Amino acid sequence: MKRRGFLKFGAAGIASALGSTAGLLSWIPRANAITVNKTYYITDGYITQPDGQDVYFNGFSDASNSLNVPGEPMIVQEGDTVNITIVNTLSRSHSFVIDGVVDSGPVNAGSTITFSFTVNQAGSYMYYDGLNAPYNRLLGLHGGLAVMPNGSSNELYAGSPIFKQQYFWLINDIDPVWHDQVRLGRTPQTTFKPYYFTINGLSMRVPGHADYANPDIDAGYDPRSRIEGKIGDRALIRTLHAGMCTHSMHWHANHVEWLTRNGNILPDIWEKDTILLPNNKGKLDVIYPFAPPPDAYPSVTTGKFPMHFHDEMTQTAGGGLYQFGVATTIAFK
Amino acid sequence: MYNKRPFEQYQINMGRMGGGMGGGGMGGACYTYPASPATPGLTTADVTFTRGVYMNGSMQMDDGRNVTIWGFTDGGGMGGGGMGGGRFPSAPIRVTEGQIVHTVFNNQGMMWLHTIHHHGIEPSPENDGVGHYSFDVDGTYTYQWRASHAGTYFYHCHTNTVLHAEMGMYGGLIIDPPEGPGTLFSGGPGYDVEAIWACDEIDSSWHNKSWDAGTCGGDAGLNSLNPDYFIISGVDGSQSALTDPRVAVTVQRGQSLLVRYICAGYLPQRIRFGGLTASVYMSDGRALPKPINVDSIEASSAERYDCIFRPTTSGIYEVTVDTLDWVTGAVLGTARTRITVV
Repeated sequence: MKRRGFLKFGAAGIASALGSTAGLLSWIPRANAITVNKTYYITDGYITQPDGQDVYFNGFSDASNSLNVPGEPMIVQEGDTVNITIVNTLSRSHSFVIDGVVDSGPVNAGSTITFSFTVNQAGSYMYYDGLNAPYNRLLGLHGGLAVMPNGSSNELYAGSPIFKQQYFWLINDIDPVWHDQVRLGRTPQTTFKPYYFTINGLSMRVPGHADYANPDIDAGYDPRSRIEGKIGDRALIRTLHAGMCTHSMHWHANHVEWLTRNGNILPDIWEKDTILLPNNKGKLDVIYPFAPPPDAYPSVTTGKFPMHFHDEMTQTAGGGLYQFGVATTIAFK
Repeated sequence: MYNKRPFEQYQINMGRMGGGMGGGGMGGACYTYPASPATPGLTTADVTFTRGVYMNGSMQMDDGRNVTIWGFTDGGGMGGGGMGGGRFPSAPIRVTEGQIVHTVFNNQGMMWLHTIHHHGIEPSPENDGVGHYSFDVDGTYTYQWRASHAGTYFYHCHTNTVLHAEMGMYGGLIIDPPEGPGTLFSGGPGYDVEAIWACDEIDSSWHNKSWDAGTCGGDAGLNSLNPDYFIISGVDGSQSALTDPRVAVTVQRGQSLLVRYICAGYLPQRIRFGGLTASVYMSDGRALPKPINVDSIEASSAERYDCIFRPTTSGIYEVTVDTLDWVTGAVLGTARTRITVV
């Protein structure tokens, strides 16, 4: 009865079609606002964790027979009209919320609704299920919306430092006891205790493991998460945190340029190797510059390095298995 | 020119030597990558540090309990008994901007694997000290890097990091500008007195595990840190750090004090400066475009903030470092020290 829903919506295909430095989210600016239509199917299923445990999830999915955790990201332009259709295939009510932008209200079990909104401010937004908070969001009902500045293809906001490629990193902390209680229609009564930590729904695998380098399973090879570039291929990383734990993000090989925190443009851009990621819908926008690693001697321009969280409990799965947590690979090509 | 050994060669070795669930060797540890290759492009260093490993240290807490500590020895020998085996935190690495640095790591004994990651230093993959991206040192390896940016860093083990860094395998790493100690960075502020505060929380229930705990799977409890001690630079913050000269600092009015604050724990911290105002000039080894003035900082694991104080009023200022629950933000415990202005 298990359904394994790994994201298969073709991010790699999009990237390769636009060249090696396109990153996950590709974008061509338009002169005029348009209407964007998107349908999400609220579905459920199980995802196998690194220690072999199957954990129940819900997702904003591409089809009624798939499970996308997180939902497929959307990218639009300031002023666009977004028509969202939600098809709730499950037996309880769910919703689609973007804080400060839109709240669908309850979408009843088995029903379908369509609604519209516009976003007039460029930036990174989380869409999520606001019902039964925070449980439905934690179970996987979340995703990212990128709003590009009008007429711009390489800025986070008008006048921001420019980038050449961009990614969404949706972060989550998973307590399988809570997931199972929600599956049974109950409200969890235990203290939240995460056992798995994910980036775009996946955890890291390492050499020697059977799933190492499998882009559907290994967060280090998932093209939505793994950042790749040659020197100068500056990567905007939009991090959205669906989970409950405050974290610490650490990038190797380069400091990042820190642009925003919780959607607020910072007064000065700091260069950081480690940044606090706020919990419960916390947000960070940074640019990874793909500069030559400054302390290498002799100098290098290629190599693979990790981005991992430094609150190292997050680097485990099931209470052990160090290296199988929330991390991905930074590849200098 | 330098003849770089292909990175992939290490990966091949890994699979043969130790990677893989139940992969042999090293006492049954899994997903380890033992190797001690030649350093690519090895050259003459401007400054050399030698580090070994001790895994039999202990720290006596203010309540009388002793907690097992692991760390790096200064000089590369094996740890002897007790804290004679090595300092906690491990001896600092202090260099000058522009220097080529060798950190010679002797992990003798073949009983366990470790690495040295110079956190915030950004060298080649071989010299970055991350086991699964290069190798876990099983003999002697010379980490070679060049200090490009003055500032505050730290070094720590990056093998089964969740356990090894918690056990105390870290030390300070300072890069002085060419002007030398007394200047934070070229063009930046000077200072007369310096303190390095590596603030950490300890869950003593973790401190009796094997070096490879959890690596082959099974619930070793490493997802859940429940700290019972809160320390500053290896000194118990419940009482001792208030007066211990390794932590507590005295400064005269008119002098500048530099506090290099390192969040060496895993959980979020909030440091308050007891009513003094800190001018933060740098973080993570990079100057801020504009310094900020604060009376507290909320930091996450492995962040560093360089704080200048120019106190004008004599007094005893009690600095508190709260460790916060990562879900609720509740204060789990507090380490305390003092800035005394005379």
